[in-house]
Amino acid sequence: MSELAAQLADLQSRFAAAVAGAGDERALDAVRVDFLGRSGAVTLLRRGIGQLPAEERPTAGKEINDVVERLEAQLQDAQGALESRAFDADLSRTIDVTFPAPDAAVGTIHPIRRIIEDVCSYFERMGFAVVLGPEVEPDQYNFDALNIPADHPAREGFDSFWITDTLLLRPHTSPMQIRTMEQHAPPIAVVAPGRCYRRDAVDARHLFQFNQIEGLLVAEGIHFGHLKGALTGMCRELFGDDQQVRFRPSFFPFTEPSAEVDTTCPKCRGLGDACNMCGGSGWIELGGAGMVHPNVLRNVGYDPDVVSGWAFGFGIERLGLTRYEIDDIRRFVESDPDFLMQLH
Amino acid sequence: MRVPIAWLRDYVDLPGNAQAIADRLAMLGFPVDAIETRPVITGVVAGTIVSLEKHPNADRLQVGSIDVGAGTPLTIATAATNVAAGQRIAVATIGARLPLLTIERRKMRGVESEGMMCSADELALPADWFEDGILQLDADVAPGTDIVEHFRLGDAVLDVDVTSNRPDALSMLGLARELAAALGTPLRAPSDRNPGTAADPAGTAPVVTLDSADCTRFVAQRFDGVRVGVAPTWMRVRLALAGQRPINNLVDVSNFAMLETGQPLHFYDDARLTNHHLIVRDAREGEKLVTLDDVEHELTPQALVVADQAQAQGLAGLKGGKASEVSASTTAIVLESANFAGARIRRMSAKLGFRTEGSTRHEKGLAPALADIGAARAAQLLVAIGANAYAPHAFGAPVAAPEPVPFAVRDVKRLLGFELPNETIAAHLRALGCEVAIVDADRLDVTPPAWRKDIVIGADIVEEIARMAGYDNVVASMPAVYPNDVSSRPYRLERKLACALAALGYHEISSYALHGPALAAKLRRAGIRPSHASVEVRNPLSEDQRYLRYALGPGLVEYFARVGRPIRVFEIGHAFTTAEGVVEESALLSFGFTAPATDEPEWTDSSFLRLKSDAIALIRNVTGRFPETTRDVRNAMHPGKTAVLMLDGREIAAIGQIDPRLGHAFDVPMPVYVCNMYLDALPDNATPRDAPPSKFPSTYRDLALVVDLDVDAAAISQTIVKAIGELCTGARVFDEYRGKQVGEGKKSVAVRVTMQLRDATITDAEADLAIARALDALRERTGATIRG
Ligand SMILES: [Zn+2]
Repeated sequence: MSELAAQLADLQSRFAAAVAGAGDERALDAVRVDFLGRSGAVTLLRRGIGQLPAEERPTAGKEINDVVERLEAQLQDAQGALESRAFDADLSRTIDVTFPAPDAAVGTIHPIRRIIEDVCSYFERMGFAVVLGPEVEPDQYNFDALNIPADHPAREGFDSFWITDTLLLRPHTSPMQIRTMEQHAPPIAVVAPGRCYRRDAVDARHLFQFNQIEGLLVAEGIHFGHLKGALTGMCRELFGDDQQVRFRPSFFPFTEPSAEVDTTCPKCRGLGDACNMCGGSGWIELGGAGMVHPNVLRNVGYDPDVVSGWAFGFGIERLGLTRYEIDDIRRFVESDPDFLMQLH
Repeated sequence: MRVPIAWLRDYVDLPGNAQAIADRLAMLGFPVDAIETRPVITGVVAGTIVSLEKHPNADRLQVGSIDVGAGTPLTIATAATNVAAGQRIAVATIGARLPLLTIERRKMRGVESEGMMCSADELALPADWFEDGILQLDADVAPGTDIVEHFRLGDAVLDVDVTSNRPDALSMLGLARELAAALGTPLRAPSDRNPGTAADPAGTAPVVTLDSADCTRFVAQRFDGVRVGVAPTWMRVRLALAGQRPINNLVDVSNFAMLETGQPLHFYDDARLTNHHLIVRDAREGEKLVTLDDVEHELTPQALVVADQAQAQGLAGLKGGKASEVSASTTAIVLESANFAGARIRRMSAKLGFRTEGSTRHEKGLAPALADIGAARAAQLLVAIGANAYAPHAFGAPVAAPEPVPFAVRDVKRLLGFELPNETIAAHLRALGCEVAIVDADRLDVTPPAWRKDIVIGADIVEEIARMAGYDNVVASMPAVYPNDVSSRPYRLERKLACALAALGYHEISSYALHGPALAAKLRRAGIRPSHASVEVRNPLSEDQRYLRYALGPGLVEYFARVGRPIRVFEIGHAFTTAEGVVEESALLSFGFTAPATDEPEWTDSSFLRLKSDAIALIRNVTGRFPETTRDVRNAMHPGKTAVLMLDGREIAAIGQIDPRLGHAFDVPMPVYVCNMYLDALPDNATPRDAPPSKFPSTYRDLALVVDLDVDAAAISQTIVKAIGELCTGARVFDEYRGKQVGEGKKSVAVRVTMQLRDATITDAEADLAIARALDALRERTGATIRG
């Protein structure tokens, strides 16, 4: 062992003893000054390097530096140990992490609005605008302009609340088709959610007020396949990626051709069997749709030989019953706090 | 409509499975609400009673020898009394399965019975709709014929929905035609030739006067040699399966022909009509008519009647009259096959409060040509039961030949998104009864069949093509959506409000927009007069739907009463008022909460401040701006705890505690705080701009002031800000105290005034000078003194 090595070994053992003996920060600082300070033990050793033969000096310098690094590390460890003592009492505390937390004071958005927002955001991404309109509407908007003149048998299907001879609570959102097209030239791309009213006795499946969402796309070259495509996307947004959409022929005075729109039952995934959601058919009815009737386009001054379009009208509550597996439609209106929080 | 598959098979070959037929109908636009399956019955054959003897050991039994077409006749005992030698009957042979039993060889009072004679009940037909005892078969059913196969008793019955545009399909033939077209199989339609060709005997020809424009066609036809009796069993079984009770051969023929063709028919006893003359006219005011169901109606001119020269003989298209009802003594009849205006029949039916099979067809508007078709079919059936038919007489305008509809073939691709060859298009349309002339590659002339009124324009033809090609063949694709100038602002505002309120801890509720008189009663009880006139519904289903809500607040209060514990809720919706007959509709937001009463000093209310804090945060969120608060007094609100929030001098919201008397009237156990907003009043969102903070420190001074009670915090704060100028970065009242030490009519108020310069550190001297200015202004403007 070289002389330097012996000195370094001695230095380290003395340092270790001094650190161990330092009971507080001040004592530890004194140890640092004694060993690593400007005139400390290490400085003295460094001065001795000059006495060594030139070829040994680099090695000696490196050995001293290595030791200094080790001492500094030990000093930091000792410092940390001293500081952490202040936390010993805190760190010894143990709580029951399973103890119930208070409920966060967050509010909720009604499930009906959430479905409306989901549908609207899908159509907004496609470039549709969202329009709102009045609930008290003249029969002109509710019926006549929609190709349902007075005495049309289809008016029977709309058992409406009347305010005056010509004003009624809208039984569907379709008046928004007329309002939008009257105010804007094609192309038109809107969805219109809103509340509607029909004289239905209230029970687990019926309310006299309910929400619909209307969709309307009118431009050159719009066809039935586009309706199926857009609605398939909408259903996938609401119910999942492999959702299918089925059209069945139907009749509405304001569309021709017309369709009833079904989508895969989300509960049984279309398997049917004994599914109580779809009655075993594997399909859920969404509502009516079709190509806008040429008379409706003409009524708002559009040329049905130039533009074509589709429209749909779906019940939001129906979507909600399906989506949340709710068995009583009245729960939407009761808006019980537990109901709202549970569906949030 | 109840549609027995057994009946459809008379006209078209169908797949065996009822579900497959139902699915096919649904995909043609005729959804099937229910499939009623029939019980399994086997081993029942036709037999002839060769002989019949009294049972040797039992008075009430008879023993028959029954020829069932093969082998030796069967010996069968029966307790039925309507049997006689020579009758053709249904026999359940040994091993036969009936709905409730299996037939075994057994002894009846010592006589071995080799089967059972069947009643309608045993064939799962309504027992009281058929003869008491053993079901009598038609004579042309050969012994040995399997009865279940013969009547197709095993086939299910479908409950089919027919849309209002297709009254032609409210018929067996109409639906069979749809199925045949879709399946590509032939339709076996009965002839539409009227067998009546002979001239009426002199003076008996029926004459019809159409004194109303609501009857466009009336086919009248006279028959004599009529013998009223039981209709053929094949007809009665068809009717029973369709849910139509067999009555007698005449009524059954009219029902059968209607269910088959869709044309309602009526038979008058010719002997009971005056001069064979019928008149279609408005009823006279107060005119009385007893209908077939023995109900006497007092009519108004709204009703349309078919009358003879003496009196009304029936409600047109709705129900026949008692006076000319066919009876056992009837020997001659006049058939009516008419076309009435649908709206007229619908209004009459609604007014009188009942509908019939006939009126449900008429009110949808039938094709006039159907009147001739229906008459022809009824005449064929009447002739088949032995009546003499004379030539039909048609009244009203001649049935116009259907006009061809020019059809641009490119509309198929344009509206459906897929193409079909012209030949396929033509074949589909022809299968539905259209005549199709191919004019050129893009143009067809399509003449709809006489029985359909719903094919008028190209789009109607496109739908027919789509139905035949199958809606499943519509290929989904995404449309290009072009930019348009329609604004989504009101929707986005609602969405933003809802999100902000949910974040502030409020739950969104949705309450009924209609209410009853109970609300007004509660307001009265609370001493509150409504500030608006409510909009009234003319035809509510019940009294509690009589009025449209004029505000959202009452709905919230009712909700609070129902929940009964502290809760924070909001609702966004429309409210309605009326003035001078004009309905005003507004989009509103109300939010609020119930909170237990606190023991704060009477001059403070932390719940009010909480509400105000939420309202300001909400307005800031949707407008980007902070509103000013002003005291206010408002109907149904606590007179000392109400304020309005203003922007640019316009009211944005009203906040405050609901009048506690109102809460009491609604049984809410706690104070209620509500904020109401008219969404239209909210200005557009002003995007906030960045104002970099000063780099220099700020300073503050706390002032303790004594002021009169009516000096409010806003006045103090505004006075300070105005007096100090832009050096002042805030003057916020943070405490208030009233009490003996302060003095009667006075209050002590603490204000923190913060000051800061943008370009230098504010010195104490500068701050003190500013505060001195503020105190001068406070003294002058509010009479404030510094609390010493
Ligand atoms: Zn299902």
